[in-house]
Amino acid sequence: MSGPQRSGGDPVSLLQVEGLVAGYGPAQVLHGVDLTVGEGEVVVVLGANGAGKTTLMRAIAGLLPSRGTIAFAGHRLGNRRAELVVRAGISLVPQGRGTFTALTVLENLRVGAAVRTDRDGVAADIEHWFGVFPVLRDRAKQVAGTLSGGEQQMLAVARALMSRPRLLLCDEISLGLAPKVVAGLFEVLGRINAESGTALLLVEQNAELALALAGRAYLLEVGRVAGQGAAGEFRDNDAVRRAYLGY
Amino acid sequence: MPAPFVLTRGTWPHRLLLLAIAALAVLALLWASGLAQFRVSQLTSVFIYAIAISGLNLATGYTGLLSIGHSAFFGLGAYTTGVLVMRYNWDPLATIAPAVALCFAVGFLIGLPALRIRGLYLALVTLAVGVAFPELVRRFSSLTGGARGLVIRRRLLNPPPWSGFGPGERTQWLFWLSAVTLGAVLLLVHLLVRSRAGLAMVATRDNEIAAAASGVRVATVKTSVFGLSGAVTGLAGCLFAMYLAALSPDGSFTLLKSIEFITGLVIGGAATRLGPVVGAFAVVYIPYLTSSLNPSNVSQGQLSGVLFGVVLILIIFLMPDGVVGGLSRLSGRLVQLRPARVNTPTPPAPEENNHEASPLPGGRDDRDLTARGVQ
Amino acid sequence: MSLLLDRLFDGITNGCVYAIMALALVIVFRGSGTINFAQGELALFTTYIAWWLTTLGAPIWAGLVVSAVAGLVLGAGIERTLIRPVRRRNDMAVLIVCLGLFTALNALAGLLWNSETKVMPSIFPNGLDDYVAIGGARLYFDGLGVWLVVLVVVALMFLLFNRTRLGLHMRAVANAPESAALSGVRTGRVLMFGWAVSAAIGAVAGVLVTPLSPQQLGLQTMFPILIYASAAALFGGLDSPIGAVVGGLVLGVLQQLIMGYVGFIGDTLPQTAALTIIVAVLVVRPTGLFGTRQLERV
Repeated sequence: MSGPQRSGGDPVSLLQVEGLVAGYGPAQVLHGVDLTVGEGEVVVVLGANGAGKTTLMRAIAGLLPSRGTIAFAGHRLGNRRAELVVRAGISLVPQGRGTFTALTVLENLRVGAAVRTDRDGVAADIEHWFGVFPVLRDRAKQVAGTLSGGEQQMLAVARALMSRPRLLLCDEISLGLAPKVVAGLFEVLGRINAESGTALLLVEQNAELALALAGRAYLLEVGRVAGQGAAGEFRDNDAVRRAYLGY
Repeated sequence: MPAPFVLTRGTWPHRLLLLAIAALAVLALLWASGLAQFRVSQLTSVFIYAIAISGLNLATGYTGLLSIGHSAFFGLGAYTTGVLVMRYNWDPLATIAPAVALCFAVGFLIGLPALRIRGLYLALVTLAVGVAFPELVRRFSSLTGGARGLVIRRRLLNPPPWSGFGPGERTQWLFWLSAVTLGAVLLLVHLLVRSRAGLAMVATRDNEIAAAASGVRVATVKTSVFGLSGAVTGLAGCLFAMYLAALSPDGSFTLLKSIEFITGLVIGGAATRLGPVVGAFAVVYIPYLTSSLNPSNVSQGQLSGVLFGVVLILIIFLMPDGVVGGLSRLSGRLVQLRPARVNTPTPPAPEENNHEASPLPGGRDDRDLTARGVQ
Repeated sequence: MSLLLDRLFDGITNGCVYAIMALALVIVFRGSGTINFAQGELALFTTYIAWWLTTLGAPIWAGLVVSAVAGLVLGAGIERTLIRPVRRRNDMAVLIVCLGLFTALNALAGLLWNSETKVMPSIFPNGLDDYVAIGGARLYFDGLGVWLVVLVVVALMFLLFNRTRLGLHMRAVANAPESAALSGVRTGRVLMFGWAVSAAIGAVAGVLVTPLSPQQLGLQTMFPILIYASAAALFGGLDSPIGAVVGGLVLGVLQQLIMGYVGFIGDTLPQTAALTIIVAVLVVRPTGLFGTRQLERV
């Protein structure tokens, strides 16, 4: 299952990252990353721990200052803060979920709609997500900190989508979750991509499921893109399989 | 930009430079002691403040334990000297030992809560101590003279015969006593900071968990440092009592004095050895200058209060490393000190800013601390 | 018995003031992660403004409104210009900026209005006969008035936090600032608003408390209140508004009882007593009684 295919370098890419350099103080992590995500595409970024995958996500989302170019829907994002990047149409599900543990499930979703002004639309969306993740409806008034890992992850995804982004960034959403839960999440992501055309940029340790969903993949090594291509190629590549898929 | 001139520690050029600086310092002191009484007295107060701020520097600058209550140590040292001299007829110099010991003990005790509570909470505990001290002094008025204050008869503060100063030369005596004490304190701080203990302090400040994981006994560090810090500021208090000869709980031992110490520390540069001296000059001369600019004495205290607050905020914004921190960065472009042994890794280039890692504005220590890599 | 009730009433009145000051401290702490040491002197400054207006002939309740507005403006301005730029750097820098404000605001008030004590007019009737007798004790109208105003303030805050979008966003920023930014919440504006509201509450507290105390309005008036409010806030855990309010009331009452019945301490060590409470609570429970948050970022 994969979204509409576009080859890299297509001039109408939704997200275009060129020469991205970012890091933390004196320790730079990314040393010039080039990456594109097309409209409605599903792209996966693979790499070992420390390769810079999370830094990449955080830089695109505006949580880190960076050098180089990040262009979205034709406009350069500059070094915009996260609050403004969301308004441009990019939403991040951060590593560790980032749910508001002191707020209820319902309140979490409402905060996710912070950029929206259509109250009825927001209410309808909340209903929609309760339909997709019924367990959230059951726990609507419960404080989010009391939810299980899987439930919080669902909540995090739903919250990120409340702003109706054109591009959803997911940082290791499978981390710490049972396989069944992960499979369910990916299935939902696939549906979202197919139904609403939201592009997905995934960072995943669980490369197999991610590659099954994705159209294209990048391999990040020590802050640089070491390889890219169609997802199928990656799965069929012995070296990649051994290194990142474990078999 | 021309490459910095490199000096290696332990070599003759370095030793000569140190000798030259020391000689200059002594000459400057000799010259200063010949100035008008009033100026000499003013400089004495600068030295005393420098000692007090150095004490604060140990806890707040080098170990990252913000203390808003160091006025209590200052007062404890001062009142110990005052009470022992006036009520029990002790010789003033002899009171220093018990005062310092007492301050060390109290500081150590305050360090104990620091083990469980950190940062902001610890600051509040020190605030409590700073606020409680004047109240306690007023409460135990039979011992301390309470709100009326404690006056120390000048006769009892005369210079000892072995000092070479006569009974009328108290100002000179205190000037030199304070100067020498300050020199000793600065030397002590210098040796401490460059020792393994100093490393432990900075490690605790920068990343306590990593420090503990590396074998630093964080509990020991915190309590000992607070004790030592209190002891040094208490020492300043003893000298202050001899200097002022009249103590009152609401005069110089309130929270405002603590804020003055912090202001001086920040202006001079936290975690620098000479910063407290620069800061002391600022703390003494700012009120003095405002009073000479503003002829009506009625609002003089207020004016200098505004100035202190504004200066404190400006320094945080413009020169977070303080004067000495900023200067040492500039001078690093001209002269660079290398450690003694040849096969140790070179210290980081002067242009690097390590602001991210230091929890205190001005957390940059001397660039030649070889183990700077402990972050 | 009537003496006990008298002390109780006084304790509740003081406690109400501590409670809303503590609430103000908690609002800032939850958002910005720091205790605003200058809170007391900011309240002092705005109270001076209210007093000054009465000297020009305005009624005191107008002074209350103006000082609250002044608080809003000053609080927002301080957050925007002095706190926000420094917040990224480190916690100690923010504390030191607050200390600088503390010194400067107090001294500025002294410069503008000199250091003599002023008599502060009361919003409520405070004559010797303005009381209602309960159980042999006298509940004065101005005390009752304070209770009512504080009740209104607390109710308004509750509504703000729990029933408005802005309040929701404030709670979100307090809980997880990064996630709030990722959701599109304008964290800067939210924090600014928190400081503004906090300063406005402080202004109200100042105007309420100064007519009550025998010392009226002087440069030293608000500092003890800050201490007690900090104790109350810590008692409640620093990030719990309910804890702050409860802590304030309990502290107010305890203080009156201790001062009345424990001769050794009497009324000479009020601040020491309050602060000893802080230290004791912190040593036993470093997160305060109601609190949930560790104060150190690991």
